[in-house]
Amino acid sequence: MNATVSRLTAPVKRVIIIACVIQGIGAAAGVVPFIAVAELGRVLLAETVDQTAAWRIAYVAVAALALRLVCLMAAGALTHVADLDFQYHLRTRMAARLSRAPLGWFDARSAGMIKKALQDDVTALHHLVGHSYTNMVSALVTPLVALSYLFWIDWLFTLAALVPVVAGVALYGLQYRGYGEKMAAYNAALGNVNTAAVEFVQGIAVIKTFGQAQKAYGRFLSHTQDFVRYFWEWVRGLLAIAAAAEVVLSPLFALLAVLVAGLLLVMAGLTEPVNVLAFAVLAPGLTAPIMTLAYSQNEMMLATQAAGRIVDLLDTAVLSETANPREPQGSRVVFDDVSFSYDHETQVLKNVDLTLEPGTVTALVGPSGSGKSTLARLLPRFWDVDSGVVTIGGVPVGEMTPDTLYRTVSFVFQDVQLLRSSIADNIALARPNASRAEIEDAARAAQIHERILGLPRGYDSVAGEDAHLSGGEAQRVSIARALLADAPIIVLDEATAFADPDCEAAIQDALSRLVAGRTLLVIAHRLHTITGAEQICVIDEGCIVERGTHEELIGRRGLYAKLWAAHESPLAETPEAAK
Amino acid sequence: MIGPLIKVAGPDGREPLRRNLLGLIAESVLMGIGFVLLVPVLRALFGGNTNAAWGWIAVMAAVLIVYIIVRYRTQLAGYRAAIGLADVLFQRLGDHIARLPLGWFGAERVGQLGRLTSQGVIDVMGVPAHLLRPVVTALTTPATVILLMFFFDWRLALAALITVPFAALIYRWSGDLVQRTDIRVHDAAAEAAGRIVEFAQAQAVLRAFGRDNASLGKLDAALAEQRAAGRAQIFTAARGLVSFVFAIQLAFTLILLFATNLALGGAIDEPELVALLVLAVRYVEPLLGAADLEGALRIARNSLGRMDRLLSTEPLAEPGTPKMPDGADVVFDKVGFSYGDVPLLTDVSFKAEERAMTAIVGASGSGKTTILRLVARFWDVDTGSVRIGGVDVRDMTTEVLMSHISVVFQDVYLFEGSILENVRLGNPQASDEDVIEAMRLARVDEIAARIPGGLSARVGEGGTALSGGERQRVSIARAILKDAPIVLVDEATSALDPVNEAAVQAALRALTRGKTLIVVAHRLQTVRNADRILVLGDGRIAEAGSHEELLKNQSRYAKFWHERSRAEGWRIANASGKAHPQDQSVP
Repeated sequence: MNATVSRLTAPVKRVIIIACVIQGIGAAAGVVPFIAVAELGRVLLAETVDQTAAWRIAYVAVAALALRLVCLMAAGALTHVADLDFQYHLRTRMAARLSRAPLGWFDARSAGMIKKALQDDVTALHHLVGHSYTNMVSALVTPLVALSYLFWIDWLFTLAALVPVVAGVALYGLQYRGYGEKMAAYNAALGNVNTAAVEFVQGIAVIKTFGQAQKAYGRFLSHTQDFVRYFWEWVRGLLAIAAAAEVVLSPLFALLAVLVAGLLLVMAGLTEPVNVLAFAVLAPGLTAPIMTLAYSQNEMMLATQAAGRIVDLLDTAVLSETANPREPQGSRVVFDDVSFSYDHETQVLKNVDLTLEPGTVTALVGPSGSGKSTLARLLPRFWDVDSGVVTIGGVPVGEMTPDTLYRTVSFVFQDVQLLRSSIADNIALARPNASRAEIEDAARAAQIHERILGLPRGYDSVAGEDAHLSGGEAQRVSIARALLADAPIIVLDEATAFADPDCEAAIQDALSRLVAGRTLLVIAHRLHTITGAEQICVIDEGCIVERGTHEELIGRRGLYAKLWAAHESPLAETPEAAK
Repeated sequence: MIGPLIKVAGPDGREPLRRNLLGLIAESVLMGIGFVLLVPVLRALFGGNTNAAWGWIAVMAAVLIVYIIVRYRTQLAGYRAAIGLADVLFQRLGDHIARLPLGWFGAERVGQLGRLTSQGVIDVMGVPAHLLRPVVTALTTPATVILLMFFFDWRLALAALITVPFAALIYRWSGDLVQRTDIRVHDAAAEAAGRIVEFAQAQAVLRAFGRDNASLGKLDAALAEQRAAGRAQIFTAARGLVSFVFAIQLAFTLILLFATNLALGGAIDEPELVALLVLAVRYVEPLLGAADLEGALRIARNSLGRMDRLLSTEPLAEPGTPKMPDGADVVFDKVGFSYGDVPLLTDVSFKAEERAMTAIVGASGSGKTTILRLVARFWDVDTGSVRIGGVDVRDMTTEVLMSHISVVFQDVYLFEGSILENVRLGNPQASDEDVIEAMRLARVDEIAARIPGGLSARVGEGGTALSGGERQRVSIARAILKDAPIVLVDEATSALDPVNEAAVQAALRALTRGKTLIVVAHRLQTVRNADRILVLGDGRIAEAGSHEELLKNQSRYAKFWHERSRAEGWRIANASGKAHPQDQSVP
């Protein structure tokens, strides 16, 4: 058991130990009936049959069976209930940890990955907590008790009976020679199949429209054939030895070995015939745990891998929290000599100075990858800066409680997220105590009130269940949410590039209401939307290369003027079929 | 298990599976016979007849040897069956996927399908390779032993048999119990998974707006329900399991007490009785391991179910006598189409003239993109027909249809490989000059100049190494190289940065020159330039005509145009006195 796994399972360690003790008692009790049969044989085959002794043995066997049932059930129930608590606590711990991670952390990971960690990886530990430890106890106690009894009645015979066990284990071990490399090659072949399958399926539209279906299908098939061929070569090489190991470990082989050894020992006068009976009953059970352990090895490996991913997630770096939180004085935003990189290698932002005066509009423009989105996201603290400082009302964002920060800064992004709860709850997210009238006012200002009334249950309709909103409609709900949150500073990222051009005008009206009188930081690709901004900053390769009003920048004939020209040109020409 | 396996394996996969199964039954019976030989061996031994004992041991050894031979061959057959099954499954699934309508491939399906066609097949391979043996052995060997016990003493055999139907009934009953709680567990897990995805996707919103950690509330409730459902299942399952183990142990108890009683009553030869007792208690017990495999079996069963459903999805019908289109005009003739039960298009008729530009406008969800997809036969129409050059798209082979169409949709997929390879896909036979020209026209050469590695730079899986605009340019270069007479364009709704936007527009102009162009238009300039504009509404073409004609009508299009014109003139301002006049329209 490695350190990662034991660190994770520490909270359930006590329960597991108790369960293991109970399981051990149960496993020992499980051997008793077999011993009883051997002893019963001894009584029945004696010259004079002791009836009382016979019945006593029978009753002990029955009682042991009952004890075994009770113990196994108790141990199973204990570990399973503990496992459910363990899973629940682990999941809530992971969620709590993640809700303190930098928001940017989520950008780098898909929701599917996070779901996999919280659901599937935690579930993969079930076998570990619910079964592995107790199974291992059974697998050890059962043969140990049997062996002790056998040694007690005849040590020489026991040694003989152990021969197939040792031989079987040795043969089993032979199979794993070079296992690592072969497994790696197997995984590589399997990986090719995966990639080919994903590419084949995801690219199917392109494949078909370019008439490449046969070729792509052929490529997929050739990878699968490689895999199958590899698998075949691997198992064929191992077939003889694997079959030999399993035959030697099979109960029939064990039985035959015991009978041959027993008969020889009896003929040599080294043991009594009745002892053969005991070995015939108990010896075949000696090999069973080897198979059990081998079978559970795979699940153990999967659990260990899952545990590694869970621990990584629990170790996610979280945003620092300040001991003495401060309240901002006013809503003046200052980026002071800010530098930032995602990977500590490539500088995304270099010594950026920028001031947002209260009540003004500042626009960030620049080519893709220039760092403007990163800059905007430092304000709501998606990431922490590497050097320099971002302050609001004189207070660094890191020295505010998250609550204070998000009371001060709201944002509307292009990818709108509605929660699967009622529309009213979605709007009132920031102010759960808002009255229905306040919620409706916000919705009205965001141009979405009428649409909400048209939903099956009005404001009580649940997003994604009976409220199916288009992208633009969802965008307006999110604007209503920001309106109700009423933060003095707003960040708009690509919010004017809408998924839903048909209701663009309505969204724009809603946005106009939202931004009125607030301090605004806006990223826009459609340059004409920000021509009225008090301050336009042109960002290129992590630096602010130009700043000024639209007219000033046009006059400067720099990068902005170039972007503007590019922006204007496609408006004049568009796809056009030649006639 | 075997039923669905044989069904999915198809005619070619059936025979090896059947042979494998027969082999497994044979080896299990042999093992049972071997066990039963214990009785004469012990009887001879206790009777002091060592010669007879050796004789029986020799017989047992002979049985073991036959068993080893049969088992080895069965194992080989099992692997052969597994490999044959994998080949057949990969082939059947791949072939079927290639023939399914393109519209069938949603984002969710694509993820599942990728898994099904790789890991899913491996899971199923495991059945003949590893899983079938313990299952067959666990049933057949004890049955053989009990059957043979009747030759020695019918009363003990009956005692061993008597609890079997009882145990089987309990097994079914407990299975039903678990299945019923499974539904709650499954629902709880699905709800929790949904809440986790929401938690991750909406994290920014939750944190910025969700006060007092209310964000964790819904997730926590879902996780708590998952735990409660799990508990309910454990206690329900425990009832079944306890009963089952009890039934098995009852058999043991019955045999033991009955045998003791028989022996003490002197009603049976003692050595034989003791031997039978050993046989009954040790070798009738269902063999270890079978229960451990339940999880793996369930996974394989689920994969099989999904494969069966996939294979029974109706593929796109290929025409019996394919026709060639004459010309490149596109005609919709009284087309009706619905997704599931929801009718989307009810009666759409129009003609897109050859080498002319037709623009489609309409509210979101009105079916604009669906019209493009019907031309490319992502789906078949429910009623009416779609014709290209006078021929119904259903009367052309997929190859012919696709060779007439280029599509530029919003979601661009690039293959893992270089930019050059992705462009060349448009026409693998094209000369180097043509490829270079296509890339120049779509301004892909500028991308290549920007990134390290140039044209041979790898684009990553799905093209992730390039920005959205750059991916579009590569896909347009691909379409230029293909040079199909009909071009279908779904104009992007999201804004690109000005440089990319200009490049994409230039690339589109190069692509569509001289072609029949049908475009779902969002940009006003695009709409205005169209020879003919179709306004889609209420499942039909509500209005059609040129920009000027439609504007005169003062109807849907005029309203659309005015709304959009206003939107394009919009400026952001925070009412500090310099607001754009149009902002004043806010109510």
